[in-house]
Amino acid sequence: MNRATLITVVAAAAAVLASMTLPSYYASLAVYAVVLSMLGVSVNISSGYLGLMSFGHAAFFGLGAYAAGLLAVRWGVNFWLAVALASLPAAALGAVVGVASLRVSGHYFAIATLVVSEILRLLSLNWISLTRGPLGVVVPRPRIAYFESFGLIFAQYHLMICIVVLALLIEIMRRLVASPYGRAWMALRDKQELAESVGIAPLSHKVGAIALSGGIAGLAGALLVPRILVLSPDLFGTNFSATGLLAVIVGGKGTLLGPVFGGVLFAAAPELLRSIDAYRIAVFALILLLVVRIRPGGLASLLPRGSAGEARNAAIPPSKPVVQAASLAISSISKSFGGLKAIDDVSFSVLRGRILGLIGPNGAGKTTCLSLVSGFLTPSQGSIDIGPRKLTGLSAPRVAEEGVVRTFQHTTLCPMLTVFENVLIGTHLLSPETAWSAVLQTKAYLEREKVRASWAQACLEKVGLAGRHQSEAGALPYGEQRLLSIAVALAARPDFLLLDEPAAGLSGTEAVSLVRLLRQLRDDGVTIILIDHNLRMMMEICDELVVIHHGKMLAQGDPVSVRNDPAVIEAYLGQRRAGEAHAAA
Amino acid sequence: MFDLVLQQLANGISTGMIYALIALGLTVVFGVMHVINFAHGELYMVGALCSVMLTSRLGIPYILTVPIAAIAGALIAIVTDRIAISPVLPRKDGHALVLITTFAASMLINETVVASAGPGPIPSPGIGGWVLSLGPVALSAQRLLVIGVGLLLVIFLQLMLMRTKFGRSLRAVAQSAWAAEVVGVDVRKIAFLTLALSGLLAGLAGALVVPIVTFSAAMGSHAIINAFVIVVIGSMGSFVGAVVCGVALGVAESIASIAMSSDASSAIIYSLLLVALLLRPQGLFARSAR
Repeated sequence: MNRATLITVVAAAAAVLASMTLPSYYASLAVYAVVLSMLGVSVNISSGYLGLMSFGHAAFFGLGAYAAGLLAVRWGVNFWLAVALASLPAAALGAVVGVASLRVSGHYFAIATLVVSEILRLLSLNWISLTRGPLGVVVPRPRIAYFESFGLIFAQYHLMICIVVLALLIEIMRRLVASPYGRAWMALRDKQELAESVGIAPLSHKVGAIALSGGIAGLAGALLVPRILVLSPDLFGTNFSATGLLAVIVGGKGTLLGPVFGGVLFAAAPELLRSIDAYRIAVFALILLLVVRIRPGGLASLLPRGSAGEARNAAIPPSKPVVQAASLAISSISKSFGGLKAIDDVSFSVLRGRILGLIGPNGAGKTTCLSLVSGFLTPSQGSIDIGPRKLTGLSAPRVAEEGVVRTFQHTTLCPMLTVFENVLIGTHLLSPETAWSAVLQTKAYLEREKVRASWAQACLEKVGLAGRHQSEAGALPYGEQRLLSIAVALAARPDFLLLDEPAAGLSGTEAVSLVRLLRQLRDDGVTIILIDHNLRMMMEICDELVVIHHGKMLAQGDPVSVRNDPAVIEAYLGQRRAGEAHAAA
Repeated sequence: MFDLVLQQLANGISTGMIYALIALGLTVVFGVMHVINFAHGELYMVGALCSVMLTSRLGIPYILTVPIAAIAGALIAIVTDRIAISPVLPRKDGHALVLITTFAASMLINETVVASAGPGPIPSPGIGGWVLSLGPVALSAQRLLVIGVGLLLVIFLQLMLMRTKFGRSLRAVAQSAWAAEVVGVDVRKIAFLTLALSGLLAGLAGALVVPIVTFSAAMGSHAIINAFVIVVIGSMGSFVGAVVCGVALGVAESIASIAMSSDASSAIIYSLLLVALLLRPQGLFARSAR
């Protein structure tokens, strides 16, 4: 058992012991605090780690409460078993809302959650035969004789159960956040294109996370039932949605314990401020507004920031399997945007272990070409293949799985994460992972994490940033950010590396070390497609050049023949100079 | 039965006109600023409140309260911008934070109204009891006013977008704020004016509808969800989509009320949003090419 797990266990045990001494009123209040913390943990997954604001987590919360209550009252299921089952419909609802709203943009998630909670509120209000509408369903207190035989009162052992569940949830979250899943969530939140380029599929990760979030909210709702004992449509109301969001924002979104601070605060606040109870929502709204305006990091940002993810120098050299992949062949691809043909019938192929340069004037379609190959755009016509394997029509993450990884013209990194964390994101595809092994931290999983960490460190060393692994990525000087982007792409262990203007804005010495790095990579067996405007460098480093002009392919060949091609000279230097060049030749 | 359907169709067009006005404001603000203003429904509620208060407390003739309510809507929109949108939007994750701040602003406005004016209902006299009869269909003067003003506004807005300098600038910002800035459009000013315009429309819609539905503090939250359904089905940012889907939703809701309770029809209409997102997330009126 590691130290962090031990801390959780000790803290939970202490809280359980303390709850035995609490009088009923305080124990019941503490139950509310713990339930709100769980709701906060749930909202934190969507609003904190995924950056998707939710205004309707009461939908999941209320659904969990109704599911547990109705199972117990109408179908005679043991209430505590019903609590465990109650998270299932809530998780399923989360998946549905996620699938429905996340294909477009994050805004739609906020709308969809709000609307779903309103639908469920109307449903619970009007489906009288099931829910008794506004009267509500009365749930008998689910006493447990075993606990009472020790002289515990109901509120006390209810609190103990809640504390154990919360501790479990926090421990699960801690492990997930530190796993490839958590890294994928944060990468998708901060820079979705970067995540996709290293093989993180956006929709499935987000939908999975929202389902988890829904399930936790459902569990929280179900655990509230023994305290309120009446299921009423208010469970779906704005009050709980807002409180959950508030607990996260005030506590500190995207932090492990922030939602717990927030949950405790907002359970206690109404008791302390009895006199203003009528204005509770207004006060909450005001706090929400002020915190976002003044201290968006929440309470957790007042605490010192722990050193996240230290580089482990475990010397396990990741063995790269020797893939006898064929060359990458691009066959007469075209891409039009409306009436504009950005790429028009371009074909070329790259042999393994070579550097192919893609050159052409600004706006020629070089980046479009790269986006087509890497799956960020789908060609209107033509095909892209690696030997027998078709890349055409695959999404960017699937293309990355096939070993083709790109970088971006504009520096694309997660600026708030450390250099090391950024590179770790790139290791997503290194070995497949399941959520179970990450939560249970199986021996094999820990071993794989070690391999990922040491591979990330090796990638940083390759680009010469090993000494910077703890710096915030956004704080690096520009040239080092460019190098870091390459390290992130390398971490995905590409067979084909597509670099979009890696030398742009580099100083002379940085450019020289970049050239050395690219040669080294080629010698290691990485095939490189390179876009850059620095023609001297391109001539020097590329084994082959492809010239694109107005979306069409102008020339292909070794640097010397391309340099002397009259059509290329004309495209670059204009008509008159081309004539001169001819005259000179 | 058929007569009843015709009657509800006519009624539906008038409430649909109101929905269209609300949705237009929401969609234009999204088009220009890429912000979803969760407080937008409350602007409509404030417009309605303003109208009923002025008629019932101060005895001002209803028709005069309509422009005042529109201005009140615009003012609240500007205040919302100042406290919840402009200061937050330029931040790093501004577009996510602005959802929270406008959501908080909507709760604040709503709670302030509940605390001061009460949750309602408060009736409003409207423009009087005159009724137009077309065969089996009877339309009150108030509903005719709603339809007339609504139509005029839609035509006026369309002309303004196409013909005036402000309209051209607005469309330019909607297409690309960056490019518009480069050619000398004051993007911040256009955003500000667009938001004020959305408040104007919402306040006006509130004053127009209040004699038909009577005032309640909860009318804003109902309206914003309807507006979300409209703009999602009609494509976020689309002018035509907001008008067509707004009227269609009004008609659908009105005809559904023959057969079911308003809660049930609301629940069904809200569910349409999920269905639309699942089947055609970009909406019916999305431009095919970027």
